Amino acid sequence: MEPQDRCCEYLSGISPVWCPGCGYYGILSALVEAFAELKLPTQELALISGIGCASRLPYFVKTYGFHGIHGRALPIAQGVKMANPDLTVVVVGGDGDGLAIGGGHLPHVARNNVDLTYLLFNNAIYGMTKGQFSPTTTLSNVTKTSPFGLTGEAINPAALAITYGATFVARGFSVKKEHLRDLIIQAMRHPGFSFVEILTSCSSFNTIDMNVARIVNNQDLVNPDHDVEDRLAALRLASDEKKIHLGVYYRSRRPTLEDKFKEMRSSAHAKAKSRPEGLVKQFL
Amino acid sequence: MTYDFTLRVAGESGEGVITIGETIARIAAREGVHLATFRTFPAEIKGGPCMIQIRLSDRKVAYHGEKVDCLVTLNQQALDENLADLREEGILLCEAECDVPMEPSSRTAYQLPFERLAVREIGSRISKNIVVLGALAHLLKIPKNRIEEFLAEKFARKGQAILEHNRKALETGMRVAEVKISAKNPFKFPKGAGQRRMLMTGNEAIALGATMAGMRYFFGYPITPASEIMEWLALHLPAVGGKVLQTEDEISAICGVAGASWAGGRAMTATSGPGVSLMSEALGLLSMAEIPAVIVDSQRGGPSTGMPTKTEQSDLLLAVYGSHGDAPRLVIAPTSVEDCLSLIGLTFDLAEKYQMPAIFLVDQALSARLETVDPNTVKRAPAAARLCAEGKDGGNFARYRLSDLAVSPAAIPGTEGCEHMVTGMEHDEFGNFACDDETHTAMTVKRFRKLAAIEADPLSQGLCSYFGDSNAEIGVVTWGSSAGPVEEAIKVAKERGISVRGIVPKILNPLPHKELATFFQSVKRIIVPELNFVGQLASLLRSTYRVSTINLTKIKGVPLEPSEIVSVILETAATLNVRRASRYGTAR
Repeated sequence: MEPQDRCCEYLSGISPVWCPGCGYYGILSALVEAFAELKLPTQELALISGIGCASRLPYFVKTYGFHGIHGRALPIAQGVKMANPDLTVVVVGGDGDGLAIGGGHLPHVARNNVDLTYLLFNNAIYGMTKGQFSPTTTLSNVTKTSPFGLTGEAINPAALAITYGATFVARGFSVKKEHLRDLIIQAMRHPGFSFVEILTSCSSFNTIDMNVARIVNNQDLVNPDHDVEDRLAALRLASDEKKIHLGVYYRSRRPTLEDKFKEMRSSAHAKAKSRPEGLVKQFL
Repeated sequence: MTYDFTLRVAGESGEGVITIGETIARIAAREGVHLATFRTFPAEIKGGPCMIQIRLSDRKVAYHGEKVDCLVTLNQQALDENLADLREEGILLCEAECDVPMEPSSRTAYQLPFERLAVREIGSRISKNIVVLGALAHLLKIPKNRIEEFLAEKFARKGQAILEHNRKALETGMRVAEVKISAKNPFKFPKGAGQRRMLMTGNEAIALGATMAGMRYFFGYPITPASEIMEWLALHLPAVGGKVLQTEDEISAICGVAGASWAGGRAMTATSGPGVSLMSEALGLLSMAEIPAVIVDSQRGGPSTGMPTKTEQSDLLLAVYGSHGDAPRLVIAPTSVEDCLSLIGLTFDLAEKYQMPAIFLVDQALSARLETVDPNTVKRAPAAARLCAEGKDGGNFARYRLSDLAVSPAAIPGTEGCEHMVTGMEHDEFGNFACDDETHTAMTVKRFRKLAAIEADPLSQGLCSYFGDSNAEIGVVTWGSSAGPVEEAIKVAKERGISVRGIVPKILNPLPHKELATFFQSVKRIIVPELNFVGQLASLLRSTYRVSTINLTKIKGVPLEPSEIVSVILETAATLNVRRASRYGTAR
């Protein structure tokens, strides 16, 4: 089968609702190419999302999909993975969904090292509600809800993920599709919580922060000499204000949530008080 | 002659009051005695007044008793605050240093120097409660070996030194009591059926019942008074292959339930009112996406943070309606600890069968109180499952297929050929978003049709308790833990010559229409006692059945007392008599 056909297998046939010129088309394309490359059976894939333009993505792929509520994709995905660890779980969502309304969940899914992949589409604006500032807006200071400028500093998603304890953190760019595809493949292969911040444009409401030409001129691939196991070096790369580095910042291994549950199960069997036969007996 | 005895132990939190009460309760349950208890909790972490009340009987009891036969107080404050609840002919056992009022003289008071004995003879003030237990054992004529046996089990892990300490304290209490307490006191140790009864709290019953019902994924955020459910499950679920996750908040908890349930597991969360408020958006998602889920709400005084350690029944309307949009859900309200154990399984079955969220509505008093439970209750096996597609649907699976059936088949992720979307957006049969009026109407009807199907389902029949006389003119309708006081009040009214019929629906959404409609036709007055300010069940009944109700509401943070209900019954009976009199022209 041609690679192109293999990719088509993962498309649902529903046309995306996104505007012409939206960076998300590139992400969708990189994502299905990654699925094809990993040869994942469609029924073993679960795509989970919250609310927003990015969160519409699961409709366009032919996998199991859960379009939940605003900001709650990560907790839903965590539940899915707990009940069926054999599924490959991918979470997609925007910067508002993941860092404003849903910002409280990221630290916990990261520190629990839940074995799933979180693709955060960062276009630094609220697109679906038509142009209000998001937690990552900086340059396009004036938006519909900040006519006199912004009140707060922008959040740096990749840097946050590193400090929160994600075990795989990378930054990609929707325009560099092949590079992005490879990052997604690495993220999905990583055992544990993998986070990929994807810089992407909003052709309708924010052409400043994620201006394609500006990013193209100011980006570079992560230096091959970078030590991906060095958390502080990763943080420096992610936080570099002069240049945008694209690639894997951080990668480490530690037990996943599922590993922890397995440990608990054997500890429980070893502990008299928690053995199954004691369930009822303790009340008699 | 029936055995019916009520004991209350009161003191400062930290004085070991609960250990005294629980020891008596456990030993009695092992004898096969029925018992109901009530305990209060101080609002503070350490210190503050607390008490435990235990009613022992050779018959099933639904209420922990109003006046107590025996009061044990460990300090002056406990004495002052609880003495009014001691029967006139009751027995008081208290600390020697306390001032005990002389009146009424019909009371017997035994004052023993518990604290001094603990310090002098045992060498530790914290042994005081075991000294008290010894004296109480003598008073209640509990065989010493039963207590020793129980304490040995309870403190087995604390080592030989502690066990020896306790044994000595127990003996000291008994020895002193033998000298001071008249052997002619009226108490005797209850003789039960011989077969051990299970003794557990409502929270333990919910946790055990859910485990027995196949619940294997629990997500929760600590909150009074529901935390013990998660604590019990954290200890016991792993060994049976289950997983418990303490999440960062209640929103994450219910979303975890949604995810785990969609992925095929039986999942649950347990919280209190503030948590349900946070969960209400996700409740709508579960209705919309048609995902089974069980949410336990142990109600406490509200609104907002309210009174975390006090009981109230003020989340009924939140449970039935709380969410934006038209979002159907099932609401089940157990009335006793035994109900908690048996109905949680039914709740899972109905939630799975009808692919919708179910709220299990208990309250602080029911969550925390110890009650005896028939050991057979635990044997209930799951009686229904989710309707699921078997796979290979040709790649175009209609998750939300419209048909005459109450539900459309689901497909568990991993099933080949049934890939589909579930969503909180209005959607067509395939789960694709659709905003046209026809789809929205058809899908809303589809989701609501489940309520009618549940009402007719054999699984949900027999979910009403009835008390009293079927031909009475005065009817009482109540719900949840207020059922016990109502049952008791109806008995008292009967003794005073007034016939009352009581009904307690344990399913509150959908309401059991046939049974309630029949009930309302049979009575002339409807009294609705409940623990909230506005009369939430009354308002549901008034709007559903266009009946007038006499609301008896209470917001004191404690359960209703039978006497409070009896006085409204008496008032109502009086108005009925006046009306009857006027019909014959005599009152004019």
